[in-house]
Amino acid sequence: MWKSVIYKEWIKIKWFLILFAALGVLTVGYIFLKVQHDFKFNDANNYWYLIMFQGIQFFSYLKFIPIAGALAISIAQYFPETVSKRIKLTFHLPINENKVLLMMMLFGIACLLAIYILLLVVFYGLSTVYFPSDIIVPALTNITPWFLAGFAIYYFVALVVLEPVWKYRFLYIVVAAAFFPIFLESSLAGAYAPANPLLAVLVIALSISLLFSGYRFRKGEM
Amino acid sequence: MNNAIECNNLTHYYGNKMVYENLNIHVEEGSILGLLGKNGAGKTTTINILNGFLQPRSGECLIYGENTQHLTPANKARIGFLIEGHIQYSFMNIHQIEKFYSGFYEKWDNEPYWELMSKLKVAPKQKISSMSCGQRSQVALGLILAQDPDLLILDDFSMGLDPGYRRLFIDYLREYAKAKKKTIFTTSHIIQDMERLIDDVLIMDFNRVLAQCNVHDFMRKFKQFYFEVEDTSIDLSNEEFVANFEKVHNKVEVYTYEPEEFVKNFLNKKGIVHHNFKKVEMGLEDAFIGLTGKY
Repeated sequence: MWKSVIYKEWIKIKWFLILFAALGVLTVGYIFLKVQHDFKFNDANNYWYLIMFQGIQFFSYLKFIPIAGALAISIAQYFPETVSKRIKLTFHLPINENKVLLMMMLFGIACLLAIYILLLVVFYGLSTVYFPSDIIVPALTNITPWFLAGFAIYYFVALVVLEPVWKYRFLYIVVAAAFFPIFLESSLAGAYAPANPLLAVLVIALSISLLFSGYRFRKGEM
Repeated sequence: MNNAIECNNLTHYYGNKMVYENLNIHVEEGSILGLLGKNGAGKTTTINILNGFLQPRSGECLIYGENTQHLTPANKARIGFLIEGHIQYSFMNIHQIEKFYSGFYEKWDNEPYWELMSKLKVAPKQKISSMSCGQRSQVALGLILAQDPDLLILDDFSMGLDPGYRRLFIDYLREYAKAKKKTIFTTSHIIQDMERLIDDVLIMDFNRVLAQCNVHDFMRKFKQFYFEVEDTSIDLSNEEFVANFEKVHNKVEVYTYEPEEFVKNFLNKKGIVHHNFKKVEMGLEDAFIGLTGKY
């Protein structure tokens, strides 16, 4: 059953995964092309100083990439289930309804995580070419909430798309709009260090929210 | 005979609007039951409750003894479900969808599926979304047959199908159900289709069940009489034996379960002058309209 669920989800999202991975790698590549350019026209020590003490974020182009990817993947995964209430087919499969939703969600999250890890590895690898760990570690600390925001948006989109009542969808969107800026505050290097574990807990807590929409659908809310 | 489906005292409302109250229905194993009703009579509501997609306000539906609100995976594997409009995962092609479903069902037998697919003129990689409604219906039917369920729940299977595909669907389905002793619970707007398919009929009107019996018994017992009256003001709609009464000018149609003699005696006893009295032969559609009324 796992294989079949994964197979279906893969058919839905494979092109989005490939495009997102390509876009992410290209963005990271572009960031370091720009870093290389800035290195050429700045003294390295001066450039490092600007980053460490003047709040220059050389990685800022990455800010909305994890969110954009998560948004696309989540929509690609859950929207087709709601067209003509096709989710009925999924709930009719000989498997517990919550279990099948969690399997879908876990696959989506695993794919997202794989691409995030790829981007972070490329980012880290290229960072070591140009920067000392004093810059790399705070940079990673600062981009962590952007990736956590990606997971959060994935869960919110699942919650909203699977929700059968438009009024509630709107309500969830309002809550999400109020909630998301906390992931995206511009900050000094490493300033997110104390907040990241809390944000991670928040994101993990959100992970089962799609079960609520699934439950509401099965109870016939409309 | 055991019941595959049993609904007891089913009551449902949408807000304050009552769909039905204390509805009791049952479907015997091995029978084909057609649920007929006008738009809004509660057909899709019943299908949704049966599939666990709607919680009734009170009462319960059981499938093979299990409450449909909490069907176990093993029981769900025994139920084939056709969604209104032959909805399927249209982002897949016919190979992908067969591969997907085969992973869920132990009894999966792809032979009837591919037999039906061989009749469709579709490219191997053609997405279901780009197929015609008739082709999609065959995909949905093929998948249900491959699942080899004990009970098939079909929600308006004839929707969007041309006459050829409807006939293909019905003939294939009936032969399959009878050969393998399957139970079918189905709805359709096209009642001629039902006539070819079903053993038993359940006719629902707003808030109530008008008839639930063997379709041949129903057709034998339920009758239409036509006559012309001189006094155009007569109204028989409140008479106990009259299931439905239609009148246009002096032309009267009376629908009833009573025999011809009973109606004639009634008219004579009441002194209702009439001419051209005759029994009208009806098909299932005529009988359905006769029972539920034209409006």
